[in-house]
Amino acid sequence: MSFRMSSSLVLAAALGAALAAPAQAQSIRIGFHAPLTGFAASDGKSAQNGAELAVEQINARGGINGRKLELVIYDDQARPDQAVPLANKYVGEGLKIVISGSYSGPTRAAAGVFQGAKIPYISAYAIHPDITRAGNFVFRTSFMGEVQGRAAPKLIGEILKKKKVTLLTLNNDFGQALAAGFKEVAGKFGVQIASEYTYAMGDRQFGSIVASVKKDEPEVLYVSGYFFNGGPLVAQLRAGGVTAPIVGTEGFDTHNFISIAKDAAEGVMITTSLDRDTKLPEMRAFIDDYEKKFNAGADMVAASTHTAVNVAAAAMRKAGADDPAKLRDAIAATRDLPVATGRITFNAAGEVYKAAQIQVIKGAKFRYFATIDDPVLLAPPSK
Amino acid sequence: MYAMMALGLTLVYGLLRILHVAQATVFTLGAYTGLLVANHVHSLAAAFAAAALVAGALGPVIYRLVYQPILDRPPFVALVASIGVLIAMEDGFRLAFGPYGLSFAQNPWFTTTLGFAEVSLNLAQIWIVVAAVVLLSAFALFAARTRAGVAWRATVSDPPIAESFGVSVARVRYLAFFIASVLAGIAGVLVGLLNNLVEPGMGGVIAYKGLAIIVLGGLGNVPGTLLASLLLGVVESYGTVFLDKLLDRDAIAYLFLIAVLMVRPHGLLGKGA
Repeated sequence: MSFRMSSSLVLAAALGAALAAPAQAQSIRIGFHAPLTGFAASDGKSAQNGAELAVEQINARGGINGRKLELVIYDDQARPDQAVPLANKYVGEGLKIVISGSYSGPTRAAAGVFQGAKIPYISAYAIHPDITRAGNFVFRTSFMGEVQGRAAPKLIGEILKKKKVTLLTLNNDFGQALAAGFKEVAGKFGVQIASEYTYAMGDRQFGSIVASVKKDEPEVLYVSGYFFNGGPLVAQLRAGGVTAPIVGTEGFDTHNFISIAKDAAEGVMITTSLDRDTKLPEMRAFIDDYEKKFNAGADMVAASTHTAVNVAAAAMRKAGADDPAKLRDAIAATRDLPVATGRITFNAAGEVYKAAQIQVIKGAKFRYFATIDDPVLLAPPSK
Repeated sequence: MYAMMALGLTLVYGLLRILHVAQATVFTLGAYTGLLVANHVHSLAAAFAAAALVAGALGPVIYRLVYQPILDRPPFVALVASIGVLIAMEDGFRLAFGPYGLSFAQNPWFTTTLGFAEVSLNLAQIWIVVAAVVLLSAFALFAARTRAGVAWRATVSDPPIAESFGVSVARVRYLAFFIASVLAGIAGVLVGLLNNLVEPGMGGVIAYKGLAIIVLGGLGNVPGTLLASLLLGVVESYGTVFLDKLLDRDAIAYLFLIAVLMVRPHGLLGKGA
């Protein structure tokens, strides 16, 4: 009997504590949507990992002003028609800030909803220019495609001292934006575009492109795409006897690229924001903790969502987490904030400036090659 | 490659009038089986054998569980069911094997290249051609020379008469699914080796292109299917080089399909109704 008494007392006490806890320090809920199923599920998984790691690190250090962070995660399947109802759901649930860990389609569709509701919305790695044009509550923590595309001609012309380049462009907004940025400044660095071939998202076989590239004999190749199509493409270029250096983009910035292309990946350079040999403590901690937690190499998508969560957290430290308008102002005022993707600063259009990292694959690992820190060349558009 | 997938589809269609889109699921399962076996026992021969067996088993299972209960319904019911299997299994593979796709730990066929004059090919490309020729010839021999092959052809042309001569129609159907699935499973491993990547969605494009090919070849017509796969491959490769600014390669494939069907509505070698 006495045992029963005490156990029910303990139960009551535990219940009381559980009920009381949220009242003392209610957790801060951050909306987070990503493509967890469907064709983009691999990026969705990395996006979720990066965001969860950020929350874990922040909570381990005591949270924000004594309150823990909590992600409210929904699956948008990388589909715009899924994103709008999700966005309305976040607004209805009274969330004060939402992060997109998704592609341009859904992010662009959701941006209008959040702008209308005056809730800050941060796009972690979607690159379409129209996203931030939705209004002053929408921000982007990744390079716009055009901006990243401008880094490559400087690398090719100034650092590698090569002239004749062939572009292999993925036929979607990411690939086209990169190519547009590349072409915009190629002349300035003495780089001539000998030829350009495009390919589709689902392509895995590139025999005809490889044959054409061989005929063109470029000194360098600039290749856009993701690991799942770029990996086979780079491997087939090398297997087909193309020996010119290959410059890729942050779409290749994942260890999966190396596992697919194997030896062909050696020597491939990429423009990205993640430096595996960094001394910046925030970036170092992200890379090391990611490997520890997920037993896999950090990738660019994860770094981007990790960055977005930290931008939101930094703003909450300054402005509190309950007033969306104050949060917006605090995010907009972000200057030289050290995060997993470098030191970032927002301009008036909600776009980010940061240095571009050039990494090279050596011994099946990404290593430091160069940094392009050129605020004029890499300036994001101001409207 | 297209030929190996499309032949299976056309076999099933010829026998049952089912557009077996879910064969792409068998293809993907074959690829995953091959990859897992190859990465564990480091033998490509074992990988192919396991893939052929597992894939070969899945085909008849799909027939028994999905198609057989709805054989008396109109053909589109089976097509819808088939597409359902394909979509469900794609996310099934994602849950089971992760969304990133997997690569072979050692892939000698991928890393070894041979040069012939101007052209350089890796071993996987060469083996795909060899495998397609060998397997398709073996199938032709089987259909022309063996008792089972004769029973099969009889069932295709007239099931009731074949049955009255003592042919078990059910067994022929299982056999068709088995053979189609073995071909698909082997094709899956070959494509996995070729790209050094096995991913949950790898069957999608193959499924719809396989359909395009069998329509092109004249539904259920085996030589027509083979001719159509060859033509489609050639048109696609030239198209990617000359039309790449305008259209992607899948669009080229379907444009070609539409163009041929406008001139020959019953397919390349199809007979008029």
